[in-house]
Amino acid sequence: MLTKKSMLKIFTISITLLLTTFILSLVICIVTHTNQHILLTSIASREIQFAIKLSLITSIISTLMCIIVSIPASYALARYNFTGKTLINTIVDLPLALPPLVAGVGLLLLFGTTPFGNWLADIGLKFVFTPLGIIIAQFAVNISFMLRIMRSTFEGISPRYEYVAQTLGCTPIQAFLRTTLPMSKNGLLAGGVITWSKGIGEFGAALMVAGATRMKTETLPISLYLNMSSGDLDLAIAAATILIIISIISLYIFEKHGGIVHLY
Amino acid sequence: MIRIENVSKDLGEFKLDDVTLHIHEGEYFIILGPTGAGKTILIETIAGIYQPDCGRIFLNGTDVTDTLPKDRSIGMVYQDYMLFPHLNVEKNIGFGLRHKKITRNETKTKVNEIADLLGVSHLLNRYPGTLSGGEQQRIAIARAVVTEPKVLLLDEPLSALDNRTTGRLREELGRIHRITKTTTIHVTHSFEEAFSLSDRIAVMGSGQIIQVGAPDDVFRKPNSEFIADFVGVENLFRGKSVVHDTISEVHADGICIVSSTLKSGDVSISIRPEDILISKKEIDSSARNSFSGKITEVKDMGALVRLVVDVGIPFMVALTKRSYEDMELAYGTHVYIAFKASATHLF
Repeated sequence: MLTKKSMLKIFTISITLLLTTFILSLVICIVTHTNQHILLTSIASREIQFAIKLSLITSIISTLMCIIVSIPASYALARYNFTGKTLINTIVDLPLALPPLVAGVGLLLLFGTTPFGNWLADIGLKFVFTPLGIIIAQFAVNISFMLRIMRSTFEGISPRYEYVAQTLGCTPIQAFLRTTLPMSKNGLLAGGVITWSKGIGEFGAALMVAGATRMKTETLPISLYLNMSSGDLDLAIAAATILIIISIISLYIFEKHGGIVHLY
Repeated sequence: MIRIENVSKDLGEFKLDDVTLHIHEGEYFIILGPTGAGKTILIETIAGIYQPDCGRIFLNGTDVTDTLPKDRSIGMVYQDYMLFPHLNVEKNIGFGLRHKKITRNETKTKVNEIADLLGVSHLLNRYPGTLSGGEQQRIAIARAVVTEPKVLLLDEPLSALDNRTTGRLREELGRIHRITKTTTIHVTHSFEEAFSLSDRIAVMGSGQIIQVGAPDDVFRKPNSEFIADFVGVENLFRGKSVVHDTISEVHADGICIVSSTLKSGDVSISIRPEDILISKKEIDSSARNSFSGKITEVKDMGALVRLVVDVGIPFMVALTKRSYEDMELAYGTHVYIAFKASATHLF
């Protein structure tokens, strides 16, 4: 006879198995939709090659921007007390909860309709309907993730390492660069990878700011969307397959190095 | 050497309240106080980590209040070592030498010398995460001392270690101080450390310096209730010890105390007040130590009574109020005290 304890075990494990099957079937449906030959031909096509290149370039640049901005900002939030800190903390976390489409509309209005946006366009920085727009969209949506990971990484490192380094001849900046920064490499790696992988998959905000123009602002997710709409299923599947591969790789790296950081 | 004048600093949780201290060149100075007394922020303020809200700090006559930590020539050792986990032991010890204008060879020589002095030469290629607490603290001390600082600040350096390691490292600290003669400020809540290492002691409580003086003075003549409560619970003496077979004989201020701790040379002695027997008649027991003297102080502690019995040196004795009354003891009564050799702790 089954005891109540083993009933619980069987019930919860069954739910877990169902969920796993559900997720796996999504992936399997995509990668088995066409045969290998068609998939490889599609991946080799000019359009998908363009999308891969554009996705890589934009996501790498936006990830670097996220890293460069989040290191000082998260350090300030982790180490110092200043007026308005609680409010600022909430605001910089907002993009986590904001639908990317909404962030995209905001970006479109900021860069398309304000004097600031016009001035940037005048000096050659056009964001609306250009690849630059993709980068800024990825940055806007992902910066909060990077910031959160780095903030909890810095919070986990005692400031006394820097104090000791300062007594050993470092300026405060050198102390940070020689102790806390190298000690946060796991957080940096985990944050960078998750930011990059989210950047590659970014669709909503990028669609709003940069539009979906074939061979111009066509990243992998945009390509997937365009080709699904136009019925080019093979190309759409090729884009989807590459996105799946990237997700699996980045998830693996994140799990391996991200043990110390918490997303939420 | 170090002059701290009217320094205040409020960090919310911890604070310094108008601290004034003078520490002499080459002195081993101990700051003793309970947890939360503000000891750590005092030495972090001396190191320059915090800017005082008011007051000045002078180092060798120069006002360093606004000087960056790196320019103060101060070495710092924390309770939890704070070794850089991403660097091996050699690079940890050599960390501060990178900012000095010396060649790579000189750096290597200096690191090796100091590693020898602290007995960690065999660990140079290891990473801190793989080492024991005692080893890590030796390396942290080496890292601070190798830069030849004018002042060495030690923040509870022995508190995270087990008893045996604490004892050994305490002696090591004394030895290093004798060799380098570096002015040392050592923060602790341990009487043993304070008593055995210090030239002078400052006792701190709630952000203030309450008493400064030679250890004997502070422990014998506490100037306030706070200090009496905090330090006045132990009989602490210094003396010279000679080991005979299974016992040590310690001569301290004209009396001879027998201990079963085997340690020779200059030693500190502690005897817990409740381990001392007291009687109006001579005590006939197996206790190896027996003295006679007069009660010079009586302190009512509620259920307990604390007496000071002067037998040449003052002994603190604790007994229940009941036995105090039954024995009809009072100020000035002539009494005998006795305690076992095993109740006498040498360190």
